[in-house]
Amino acid sequence: MRTACFVIACVLVGSIASAQTAKIQPTPRTADGKPDLSGVYQASPRRGGWDAEAPGDEPGVPAPRSAVNINTTVSDPIPYTPEARKRAQDILNQRSIDDPTTRCIFAASPRITGVGLFPVQFVQTPTQVIILYEYMWAHRVIPIGAKHPDDLSPSFMGDSVGHWEGNTFVVDVVGFKPGGWLTGGLVTSDALRLTERYTRVDRDQLTYEVTIEDPKVLTKPFTQRTTLMLREGARLREYSCAENNMDPAVYEKMLKDPASSTSFIRGK
Amino acid sequence: MRWVIAVAVLSSTAVLSAHHSFGVAFDATKTVMLTGVITKIAWTNPHTHVWVDVKDASGQVVNWTLEGYPPNVLERTGWKKDVTIKVGDTLTFFGWRARDGSPFAHLREATLTDGKKLYFGPPAGTGEGPATVK
Repeated sequence: MRTACFVIACVLVGSIASAQTAKIQPTPRTADGKPDLSGVYQASPRRGGWDAEAPGDEPGVPAPRSAVNINTTVSDPIPYTPEARKRAQDILNQRSIDDPTTRCIFAASPRITGVGLFPVQFVQTPTQVIILYEYMWAHRVIPIGAKHPDDLSPSFMGDSVGHWEGNTFVVDVVGFKPGGWLTGGLVTSDALRLTERYTRVDRDQLTYEVTIEDPKVLTKPFTQRTTLMLREGARLREYSCAENNMDPAVYEKMLKDPASSTSFIRGK
Repeated sequence: MRWVIAVAVLSSTAVLSAHHSFGVAFDATKTVMLTGVITKIAWTNPHTHVWVDVKDASGQVVNWTLEGYPPNVLERTGWKKDVTIKVGDTLTFFGWRARDGSPFAHLREATLTDGKKLYFGPPAGTGEGPATVK
């Protein structure tokens, strides 16, 4: 395990080192001088082409290049309320069996942004930014300079409005349905508010920082950060999650079977 | 400084699930590596599935169901629909068995007829989260 971690660490150090030595190109800008976020990206620490995994020599041994499965999200400690912490531990004990994504329910950002297996496309106009997620085939339309609508209906990904603060596109997201799963067993409430900050720091790199507030499950806000890298030539392809979703039926069968119903629970 | 960054990234690698938790259906302590003949392929979301006839020690044929990445991920990592694998091909697979002991497995590494190895699914443990709340 230590060796595996060392290998992964070396890969990461290597990619960071190569990132530091690669030619950094300036941030593209639109005609009105704003940074242009448009492009197809992947959550990844590595610049250049798609981070394809390649198997190693030995089955089951982590590959020397295993970037596809690296989650680049760095999180502050999550300040759960005592009740939310207990619920999170219950979820982890049950290995996240009730994760809504198993039933193809959308996951809000930052989760949907950080899944490096799938690309994310930004389309920017002077009046809105549209984010297209291959994962779950979801999208967000973010008007610039607008207010949240008065007739807001709660939704899985919330309602987003954006504005520019210098070179950073800041997005306020509210209006969530309760029960969303973000990370580490954190189940959010209808009081969830995200403040997202998107900064294209150079041509390849789009940094994403999100402050998560939810006074019903958190004692204070906390922040997560993810790096998205431009993937030139990559295109979004349809992901129809309900097409052949066999897993909920398997889980249901497991839960009905007393012998297997607890076999996956940690500590049993 | 580079090491500090690397450690910070590593400490955050609570890999998020794309669709569902590995550990509910599969047991990371029960590896399986078998060779058989492909009988069916479902190139579908949210998971691609391959069915493989494997002859056991007594000569009896068991049809295994193997689960992996969705087609989009496979196609970005070197797979081609109807080209890389076809019904009738021989496939060697390494993965982890279903907890219920049925011939159902999470396929990690596939060895093709020409000896080429490709990943078909993520590592064990993906999506189930750490053991304790941090």
